[in-house]
This record gives sequence, C-alpha cells and structure tokens, in this order.
Amino acid sequence: MTKVYCIGEGLVTPLGSTVEAVLDAAREGLSRRLFEKRGTLSGASFFEEIAIEAARKATRGMEMTPRTGLVLSTTKGNVEHIGRADISLAASARNIADAVGITTSPIVVSNACISGIAALLQGMRMIRSGEYDNVVVVGAEVHSDFVHSGFDCLKALSPEPCRPFDKDRQGLNLGEAAAAIVLSAKAGPWEISDGVIRNDANHISGPSRTGEGSYKCLRYVMDGIDKEDIAFVSVHGTATPYNDEMESIALHRAGLSDVPINALKGVFGHTLGAAGILEAIVSMAAFDKGIVLPTKGFHEMGVSYPVNVSAQERPAKGKLFIKLLSGFGGVNGAMVFRKGGAL
Amino acid sequence: MKMKEVSIPSGANLTAIYRELVGNYPKFFKMDTLSKLGFLLTEMLVGDDPGRFTPREDRAVLVFSRNGCLANDLNYAKSMEDFPSPALFVYTLPNIVAGEISIRNKYEGETSAYVLEKYDRPLIDGIVRQAFQDRITRDAIVAWIDCPSDTEWTAMAWIETK
Amino acid sequence: MENLITELKLKIIDSLNLDGMTPEDIDNDAPLFGDDGLGLDSIDVLELIVLMEKSYGIRLDSPSKGKEVFRSVAVMAQYIADNRTK
Repeated sequence: MTKVYCIGEGLVTPLGSTVEAVLDAAREGLSRRLFEKRGTLSGASFFEEIAIEAARKATRGMEMTPRTGLVLSTTKGNVEHIGRADISLAASARNIADAVGITTSPIVVSNACISGIAALLQGMRMIRSGEYDNVVVVGAEVHSDFVHSGFDCLKALSPEPCRPFDKDRQGLNLGEAAAAIVLSAKAGPWEISDGVIRNDANHISGPSRTGEGSYKCLRYVMDGIDKEDIAFVSVHGTATPYNDEMESIALHRAGLSDVPINALKGVFGHTLGAAGILEAIVSMAAFDKGIVLPTKGFHEMGVSYPVNVSAQERPAKGKLFIKLLSGFGGVNGAMVFRKGGAL
Repeated sequence: MKMKEVSIPSGANLTAIYRELVGNYPKFFKMDTLSKLGFLLTEMLVGDDPGRFTPREDRAVLVFSRNGCLANDLNYAKSMEDFPSPALFVYTLPNIVAGEISIRNKYEGETSAYVLEKYDRPLIDGIVRQAFQDRITRDAIVAWIDCPSDTEWTAMAWIETK
Repeated sequence: MENLITELKLKIIDSLNLDGMTPEDIDNDAPLFGDDGLGLDSIDVLELIVLMEKSYGIRLDSPSKGKEVFRSVAVMAQYIADNRTK
C-alpha cells in the first residue's frame, strides 16, 4: 500500500496565520474563536478567501500539475449568503481550485463535523489509487447567523467559554478558521497511515449511548498499531454533555482509558468543517515539539468512564497520535498520524 | 455484472411511494425531501434483501449531489425569520440522508456525502472505487440525489460491489 | 381546558409531523416521550420548546425543563394555562 505523507500545511485562524503562532497561542492557553476583520480583498466571499489563503500557504513552492487534486471540507461554506447567491459548495470548491491553480475536478466532502477527517481520508485514497500525485485538502468554516441560530435552537451553545470533558460543561462555542494539508506519496515528516468512517446507525443528532461508531473507528485504526506507540488521542471534545460522555465510553471500550487525550475546542471553538484539519495540524506541530497540548477549559472530570485528560501540557511519548471526530448524521471518524513517516 | 439502478422522477408523490413500499416508519414524515428521496431509493434497492435489518459494517452509503441540502437550507432560513426550527436545522447537512439510510437499515459502516460540480459518473465511480480501500467495506449504496427545491430533483441510486 | 387540549394536540401533530394522527389518537395523560406513548425524541422536545414560545409566549430555557412540562398533553395544557403570555 502506497504510504501517504503530509508535505505542506497552512492555517488561517483568529489566533494567527502561521503554524508556529497558533501553536504558541494554544500552549499559552489563549482562546479566540472569531476573526476581527471580515472584509475581503479579492472579491471572493470571506469563506472562499480564507480557504484560498490556507491552501496557498500549504502549497507554497509546489507546482500544480494535471495530477494534483483538491478536496474541500466544509459543512456550510457560503451559507451566510443564502437566498442572495449560488451557495453551492461545488462552486466554492471550483473558485478555490482556480485560485490556487488546480485543474482537476474538485471534490467537496460535507460530512458534518467529521468532514475534516473524511476529506483527509478521501485525499489519502486518491493518492493510494495512483491517479493523483498530490492532493490539497482544505477545510474552512466561517461564522453565520444560519449556523449560530441552529445550534442555539438545539440548546447546544455554551454561555461561557467551552469546557471539554469538565463536570460543569454547558455546550459548545462556534469558531471559524481555514486549514489546509497537502498529501503526497513523496516522503514528508508525517505519514497519514490509516483512517476510517463509521456510522452509529442510531440517531441523526444524538450521539450513540454506547459510543458505537467512535468505538468501531478506534478498533479499526488500532488494528496493526501498538497501543504503546500512541502518544495521545486528540478527541472531538465539543463540550456538549452527550458528546464527551459518548467519547469516554468509546475510549473505554477500545481499551484507551489510560492513553492521554486532549481536546482543542476550548482554544478555537468548534470550527466544524475546518476542525479535523486544524486540530490535526496543531497536534502535529505540538508533537514535533515533543508535547501533548493542554485541554483548555477542563478542570474536573465530568464523564462517567475513566479517561486520561491532559489538563496541562505534558511530554508526548510514542510514535503517533489518533484524531477522533463525530458528528450529526451518526458519523464518526478516526485517523492515524505517524511521526517520521515510514517505520 | 448487471447492476440494478433505481430512480425517482422529479416531482413524484413521495408520500404515495412511501405508503406503497413501507407504510410503517413514521419518522419518514419528519425527514427533509433529500432524506426522503435517499430513504425511498434504498427501499427500492434493498427492500427484499434476505437478512435485512441485521446490523452490518460492510456496506457503505455514499451520497453525491451538486446542491447538497439546499432545499432544506432554504426552508430553515425561512424559519429563521420567525422561530428557527430545530427539526429543520438538523437536516441542514448533506450527509443526514446517509444517516437516515443507516438508521433504517442498521448500516454501521462508512457513510459520506460528496458535493460535485455536476453529475460526473467517471468521477463518482472513481470515488466509490477509492472507498473500497476500507478493509471491511464490501459494497456500497451509491446515490446521486440533487435536490435544489422540494418539488424538483434528480434522484437515482445503485449498489456497487467491491 | 378541553378546547386548549384539543388545540394543543393539533399543534403537536402539525409541528412534529405526526402523519395520520388525530387528536383522538393522543391520550391526555399518556407520556409523550419514551416507548410507551408517542415515542417522541430529543429533537421533538426542542421543537415543542419552539411551539411553546411561538404559540403561547412561554420560554423554556432547557430541554430538561421541557421534559418536565411535556410529560403528557394534560400536564402541558395546565402549564400553558398557568403561564401563557399570549
């Protein structure tokens, strides 16, 4: 099986637009979820503008060829303009591809909150198919009344900064960001060695009470990896009561209760379609510095199954980390990021 | 291998099709049009499968479109003018249809929603082949359901085997 | 009260898309949630919270408060009678 590597990363976030700046902010325990300035310079929508900027950063110095692919990860794209413009995600993907010079047909993966992992998985498979040399995977989400009012009427929004896995957690905060990773068969510092999507087949908006899909994802990706090699699991950790509880059950069932976990939603908020890619990039950068990032907002254990939450920064020991996500539609996803690529 | 392909004509009476094919799944009436279409297409494909409803992890559900869940997005946006509706909001994602198909049929495998510029069968076939890189997936319900409004759509589905 | 109960049942049937049901099908005292009664779920709770605000001007801040009020149609109607602002 062809090995697939990350050979470029780009970020545009309210906490900074370089990987170093964002990592420093996360280590210092800063939090900023929305951009201060939302004007656009290029005539593209704000959503497309940040997606393009992240893709440009990730592809700096790279030559686009007829074998370069684009996968866009988003839940709602340009929805802030609904009723006033064509908000098709495919049209946005075309604009982003054109701006960075990609000529193949863009593919949008819109799989709720696991879109980031689903898009990276799609990119990984495209490389493994042998039909693409490089795939630019871009995740982006911007704030909109549409999404905000929706989570508000679901009573899912926290009135205070969110507190993943904490006993007093009250829900999530929405965030906005763009993040991009370039995948290639050409060796890079990080390998994406495995990924999977599984459905709870239980409820379209409520997480499974048995953590079914997340458990199946963990079981799938742990096939062939040594538990001792797992430095940490970067969980979804939205800080809604049900999500975090569900993840504790899935981790417990997968035998990962003692493996360090962390959640980054306290730093960035829930960036929806950008979350998987943003959180993966920041986790890789932290691992490169030998650390597991803290879980901002977490103070006291608030889930019923034992999990090893990293409240503070601590040393990363191992060879890889797992990114875990779950979302509406019953979807769950897991992906393995392996340091140093080949074993 | 000859493949079974099913479709639902634009504007068809979905409630009538539901009553003919199913009749005992009241959650159908809570679904958005996109989910109703995916639900019914799957009934047409697997309705008489032996051993149906036994949980299985080896069948994927892959749904493609150009407009995602636009019809329902417009309905939800309209509700925002008054009281935003939670029951509409939960359908404002293109992958919910795949979730509904999974819940109905106990498909615990991969589910994904893809948005493409147009109905591009070679591109869709390529993505489906790539999905078979999953070590457990053996076949997939594949659907192209483009539903820009509640009255006009293109809806077809088939089963692809690894 | 009888009128309010019938009106409420019609609104519930409409807002929750309970196809084919009539007010007579809903027992005043039967539980709305769980497997015994109408089998409504978490999204239905949220939709009923919207119904309470939209039709009767009653704000329920949390789903847990909602579940207390939505024990049965009779309980719901009494709560509306006591708290309605429109």
